[in-house]
Amino acid sequence: MKHSYLTALLLIAVIALIAVGSQLLGIRLYDRIATNLLISVVLVVGLQTFMGNSGLLSFSHIGFMGLGAYTSAVLTIPAQMKGMALPDLYAFMTVVEVSPLVAMVAAGLVAAVVAAVVSYPLMRLSDAAAVITSFALLVVLYTVMNNWSAFTNGPRTLFGLPKTTDMPIAAIVAAVVVVVALLFKESRTGKLLRASREDEVAAAALGANIPRLRWRAFILAAFIAGVGGALWGHFITSFAPKAFYLKETFLIITMLVIGGANTVTGAVAGTILVTFAYEGLRGTEGALNATSFGAGQVVGLTEIVLALAMIAVMILKPGGIFPNREIGHILIRARRKKETAP
Amino acid sequence: MLDVRDLSVSYGTIRAVRGISFTVGKGELVSLLGANGAGKSSTIKCIAGALKASGGTITLDGRDITAASPEQVVRAGLATVPETRDVFPDLTVSENLMLGAYIHRRDPAGNRENLDRLHTLFPRLAERAHQPAGTLSGGEQQMLVIARALMSRPGVLLLDEPSLGLAPAIVERIFEMIETLKKSGLTILLVEQNVNQALAVADRAYVMRLGAIVAAGTADEIRSTSDLSAHYLGG
Amino acid sequence: MAFTIQFVIDVLSLGGAYALMALGLVIIYGILRLVNFAYGELIMVAGYTMFLASGSGLPWIVMAVLAVAMAILFGILTDYIAFRPVRAKSVTAVLITSFAFSNLLQNAALLFISPRPRNVPLPAVFSQTVSIGGAITPVRNLITIAASIVLLAAVAFLMRRTTLGIAMRAAATNFTMARMLGVPANLIISSAFALSGFLAGVVGILWIGRIGTVVPGIGLEPLLVAFIATVIGGMRSLPGAVVGGFLLALIDTTLNYTLSQDLLKFRDAFTFSLVILILLWRPEGLIKGPASGQRT
Repeated sequence: MKHSYLTALLLIAVIALIAVGSQLLGIRLYDRIATNLLISVVLVVGLQTFMGNSGLLSFSHIGFMGLGAYTSAVLTIPAQMKGMALPDLYAFMTVVEVSPLVAMVAAGLVAAVVAAVVSYPLMRLSDAAAVITSFALLVVLYTVMNNWSAFTNGPRTLFGLPKTTDMPIAAIVAAVVVVVALLFKESRTGKLLRASREDEVAAAALGANIPRLRWRAFILAAFIAGVGGALWGHFITSFAPKAFYLKETFLIITMLVIGGANTVTGAVAGTILVTFAYEGLRGTEGALNATSFGAGQVVGLTEIVLALAMIAVMILKPGGIFPNREIGHILIRARRKKETAP
Repeated sequence: MLDVRDLSVSYGTIRAVRGISFTVGKGELVSLLGANGAGKSSTIKCIAGALKASGGTITLDGRDITAASPEQVVRAGLATVPETRDVFPDLTVSENLMLGAYIHRRDPAGNRENLDRLHTLFPRLAERAHQPAGTLSGGEQQMLVIARALMSRPGVLLLDEPSLGLAPAIVERIFEMIETLKKSGLTILLVEQNVNQALAVADRAYVMRLGAIVAAGTADEIRSTSDLSAHYLGG
Repeated sequence: MAFTIQFVIDVLSLGGAYALMALGLVIIYGILRLVNFAYGELIMVAGYTMFLASGSGLPWIVMAVLAVAMAILFGILTDYIAFRPVRAKSVTAVLITSFAFSNLLQNAALLFISPRPRNVPLPAVFSQTVSIGGAITPVRNLITIAASIVLLAAVAFLMRRTTLGIAMRAAATNFTMARMLGVPANLIISSAFALSGFLAGVVGILWIGRIGTVVPGIGLEPLLVAFIATVIGGMRSLPGAVVGGFLLALIDTTLNYTLSQDLLKFRDAFTFSLVILILLWRPEGLIKGPASGQRT
């Protein structure tokens, strides 16, 4: 348990360092990147709570982020703007306007409730059936967001969200989510779930109801995704359903897998690493576009490099950078080794 | 013919086979005995190439096959009948047999001849040639996997628990058939829990316990060793 | 009467294409337990090959053969890049690499060709129509039906009558046992990927023939279609995949004719919810596949 405190402390320190560091640099661009990074930490750590503990791949996480973003949007767009932003919104909803904090919690709850309702029966599936259903769930969520014009303005861009997410708020939410993920990992549910990943039969023999355990993890992950979606929505202030689909799914899975899906440390490390790589490559793409005028746009280079990196990681280090031990655990072990050594 | 030296097999940190050595001479029928979990099946799978050895060597006719893949082992002339009695249930009996002759697929005449010979040995398989193998009875499936292994025209046959879960009358038939195969000059390594029957057909035997060989000798010597049951009961 | 004919032709041509898509996916899943996310990109590869070859002045049929050959090549590349190096590790690792490979190919098309749709050369016959019993039908629908019948028969022959096909079916139930009979693992794996690429290539030409253009994201819809069809038809059964393809075409066509415009937008949500429900009821799919075996 002691090393979990240390892990939490260290990860929060990293988050604080990113927040304070980017603030000290005082460059607007870095502020934007750092805030984005912290929001990604929320999403990826959220995904880790499910994938890391259950060992199942989930493709639908981004869909729940979208649910959160739209929920918060509907609840916070000022009443006088709603006519323009959401022309088809049901009349009784047009007067609703709550504070962004309340909306963020509501966003998490809506995502969690939807997850709870649809996912319970899915949790007993494994292998290909589990993967295809989670993929199918993403398609369903996307299709609904794309077409339920009353709430989402359809495939068009929804605008008018108050810009309430700033760096400190993103940092605080990220820190809280890291602690929640670590607590969940060390909870009875988390421990049994991880045991079931190693040996389903043995865990079941211990009386673990595996689908139920997975279900809890999935709901928690969806809640965090919903919160992350709200956070992101109030940062970007306008978005369309296509922001919650395959490209983004690929990105968060890349972050988690490269860092190491089994650990919260891995989720945070992967997010930081991939964000830096991503922004660096995007910068390169931009520079290339600026120089090769007229020769066509350079697009897709970033994704190609990330995809290659992901394949390389799976071949060389399938567990990611932090495959099974949290950073606190690693440090304490290293120290103990030093002490026991003559 | 088959020479196993200091063979070890591990599953992660668990060592299932701990440096065993034994030989099977040409035309010999050697039996590997032992209780559940003694490491017999791991030994067989390792010789067949389905498990990687963590130490030691396996040579077949002077050729090192320790690191060979399953498909290379068959080509080297060693066929395996695993204890799981793996027929391909959706394939017909004749398709199963045809796959047994996969490495000789360029020699249809030889295969036909071989098939005729096996059909006289196992008339039931001829009757059911076009039936899916999954619909056969347990005994018939056992005959099918043995016949299928023989279609590869092996020099050495590994038989893992051929009597497992079969009715006594059928076990009787299986052992008669093993005798016939032995008389035809085939070299056989037979893994069995059914000690008495195995010793009745074997020339020599080895007894395994907890991954090691604890007794070796001719079938008669092993039979007369009074503590045989002790090896089984773990005493 | 004309309506019935129209409906039947619609279902059969769509179903033929769907069945081939599903078959290409199931061949890989059935034998290797790999859900190949990069499958749709093989269709994309076929499309771009046609586009790139369009300026060459080659006869159309040569371009088509070239497109199929490229799809086969990329199918085999999937094996070497995304599957073989991680095969022994974990199911999740294989899924992730195939997902990454899919992204890699899509973005390569984006980077090296264009994000915008590109025209694909089509023979004039693809855009002509004929009247059958009063129903006016594009000729390409009839071509699709004919091509799918020929291909399905060819695949059935391969799987039932040839040693390679029988060995592949055997490997689908018990890969290790097949190897213990001397069937080389690599041959089976490569054949499965090549066959999958072949089907994707042909289906790609037929599919793109409906639209006339190719974009980097073109593979997504066929992939989703193949997912649904395989789920309906049984995840590991080849005949099931074919049945699933035709059933899905029947459902889609029926919904197209019956749903109002407002609800039609949600068609994908309906079909995918159906997929989820079917998988819950029968995780192996509606039609049971061959007895399950272990992965290699």
